[in-house]
Amino acid sequence: MTQSHRRSSPAQFVARVGLMAALALIFSYIEAIIPYNPGIPGIKLGIANIVTVIALYKYGWKEAVSVSVVRIVVAGLLFNGAFGMLYSLAGAAVSLLGMILLRKTDLFSVTGVSMAAGVLHNLGQLLVAAALIEDLRIFFYFPVLLFSGIAAGILVGIASQMILRVLK
Amino acid sequence: MKEYIRKADIILLIVLVAVGLAVSAALAMSHSGGDTVIIESGGDLYATYSLFEDHTVKVPAPNGSHYNIVEISGGKVSVTEATCKNQVCVRHGEISLSGESIVCLPNRLVVRIEGGSEEGGGYDSVTS
Repeated sequence: MTQSHRRSSPAQFVARVGLMAALALIFSYIEAIIPYNPGIPGIKLGIANIVTVIALYKYGWKEAVSVSVVRIVVAGLLFNGAFGMLYSLAGAAVSLLGMILLRKTDLFSVTGVSMAAGVLHNLGQLLVAAALIEDLRIFFYFPVLLFSGIAAGILVGIASQMILRVLK
Repeated sequence: MKEYIRKADIILLIVLVAVGLAVSAALAMSHSGGDTVIIESGGDLYATYSLFEDHTVKVPAPNGSHYNIVEISGGKVSVTEATCKNQVCVRHGEISLSGESIVCLPNRLVVRIEGGSEEGGGYDSVTS
């Protein structure tokens, strides 16, 4: 909405993305240090994605993509390592593409878009894992990752919508 | 409430849940009693063992000094020790059915169970 009547200059763009990427990085870190263990590999809430969803809705796809990439690369260098970065980038690429397309249809709420993103994120990671391990059997994880993606996506979507309402 | 959830969201949710349930059902059907433990490292076959002979195997990872310890005991397989950071494979627990697998991504290890007689075994034997 906002970007149509408020074109941002490159400096504004960089400042915005920098600020949001820093916020997202803090969320990644907070999530990493919260001692909760769902017991099944590959499942997490992904609260950093709240920032990505807000960037997409408040500013646009360029901001959302930039925030994601910056966050993942820096988080990869700081905590996750190169492999973790590769998985995250694959998941983010698929889920961002899905979010941008679903948002364009104008049929879904933020919750629905985020839910789809959660599922696509896990699917993207699973595809990379299958390619690396060269074994399609890893798709046994698919149902687990699908349901956890739905749940995490809905929660992230509701949180994002609550924040977007205040930001408007 | 309309800004939080719309009709299309609910349709999408139903579709996703249906896909999830269908895939879970299909996977559950394909499980049956197996008899061979297959260990792969870095995408290549490392070793095969019988599920019914107890073994403890140290599997070196393709990346340097890393390794996983795979234990076959009493018809169940588990990874008891791993040098990887996330320990996902260790927390996976035991597997015993054909088609089940334990994967350690950092060390590129796959342990899976295969085989079993065509008739009987697993879920089918219960119903027959």
